[in-house]
Amino acid sequence: KHLIDLYESVNGTMSNNSDCPPVVLPEEVFFTISVIGVLENLIVLLAVIKNKNLQSPMYFFICSLAISDMLGSLYKILENILIIFRNMGYLEPRGSFESTADDVVDSLFILSLLGSICSLSAIAADRYITIFHALQYQRLVTPRRAAVVLMIIWACCTGSGITIVTFSHHVPAVIAFTALFPLMLVFILCLYGHMFLLARSHARRVSTLPRANMKGAITLTVLLGVFIFCWAPFVLHILLMTFCPADPYCACYLALFQVNAVLIMCNAVIDPFIYAFRSPELRDAFKKMIFCNRYP
Amino acid sequence: MSAQRIISNRTSQQSTSNADYTWEYEYYEIGPVSFEGLKAHKYSIVIGFWVGLVVFVIFMFFVLTLLTKTGAPHQDNAESSEKRFCMNSFVSDFGRPLEPDKVFSRQGNEESRSLFHCYINEVDQLDKAKACLQTTALDSDVQLQEAIRRSGQPEEELNRLMKFDIPNFVNTDQNSSFGEDDLLISEPPTVLENKPVAQTPHKDLD
Repeated sequence: KHLIDLYESVNGTMSNNSDCPPVVLPEEVFFTISVIGVLENLIVLLAVIKNKNLQSPMYFFICSLAISDMLGSLYKILENILIIFRNMGYLEPRGSFESTADDVVDSLFILSLLGSICSLSAIAADRYITIFHALQYQRLVTPRRAAVVLMIIWACCTGSGITIVTFSHHVPAVIAFTALFPLMLVFILCLYGHMFLLARSHARRVSTLPRANMKGAITLTVLLGVFIFCWAPFVLHILLMTFCPADPYCACYLALFQVNAVLIMCNAVIDPFIYAFRSPELRDAFKKMIFCNRYP
Repeated sequence: MSAQRIISNRTSQQSTSNADYTWEYEYYEIGPVSFEGLKAHKYSIVIGFWVGLVVFVIFMFFVLTLLTKTGAPHQDNAESSEKRFCMNSFVSDFGRPLEPDKVFSRQGNEESRSLFHCYINEVDQLDKAKACLQTTALDSDVQLQEAIRRSGQPEEELNRLMKFDIPNFVNTDQNSSFGEDDLLISEPPTVLENKPVAQTPHKDLD
């Protein structure tokens, strides 16, 4: 299966049924969101690369998340370009170049999804070690080890992405892919939940304002809520598409494919704000970068 | 599996008709979906899924806020004696700047660090928490030793470090994960809890 086929076939087949017409979003919306996503994550990457004091393991994981979000947005831009070329007639519908381009672009998408999920888990694990093993943190999580872990993660994601795209019409590949989402969600929930419980017990002992705890609850809900809202619709889409494409209820859900896709794009746009730009150091580095460029 | 066979049939048929622009129908040629005889609303999966998602997130938020408001009060009593002891020893040791020889030796660092951790875990007053914040920098022996190596005046460096120079991962991590203001009034207690003392809250949490 090619995801571009998927994108087009929704428009093609569903037009037979006027009961559940596919929701079509204008291409400009996708393109704008993708470009914003690419620019934001590029800014995060540049800010970390240009500042020596931001080169710690925590920021490496945030960079990994920025890279995977950037890949996801790049996928959308590339797909739009391919579709524009095809509509203009430059590309043959079944040519070998087009099939290869489809495969490459699909692998990019799956790679970005897997990379995003793994980076979020790595960030949660890093924060967990910071809180519960604070003394050993600098010995455990050295920049070199963080780089090695990230390289292993990305190598596994690349291999899995290529495998999933190659065997995408087999059910086990789809199940393996969609099972990653709830697994990572439970993993992240457990880590953050434990951290939150510890923060709560400390806050009570220090007799701090309840406002601070409320902020922690809100932040945690935002982190997990954005992850769930942006990913769950697409994962359900993949499941329904594999198991019940002919069912009318499933078909009506599948008609909302573009809405689900735009949510994934929005995730790439929102992630820098809730992970990278929450850090005051990164914000300062970003401001320094902007103002130094304006007044060289 | 029937979908797979249908797909393979379609691809073999399409390979003979290259002129037809049919590649987009490769996957979905199972047939038009019939919408007759639906018992429930046709968008029921969509509505049910989104409502379930929203309810789940709101439920999670309420659970978290309830956790912030309630909690077992008995946890405080168990550590009150430990608190007093640690606070006294810390105050007596950190009432003045550290001596250079203590600062240079690793042993001095470990001792000051353990006392410091012992102290910060038992802080329950705001003003003492503020003093705790200022001496947080001492936790990172790497930073301290670097500062000492850089200049030949350890006391001055120490005073400089005392000015709220929290190591990167502590300060920004707390800020990035729990918001701009301190989740707790004193940030370090959350982050710098070491293993021996941490066993008490872990035990309480489990």
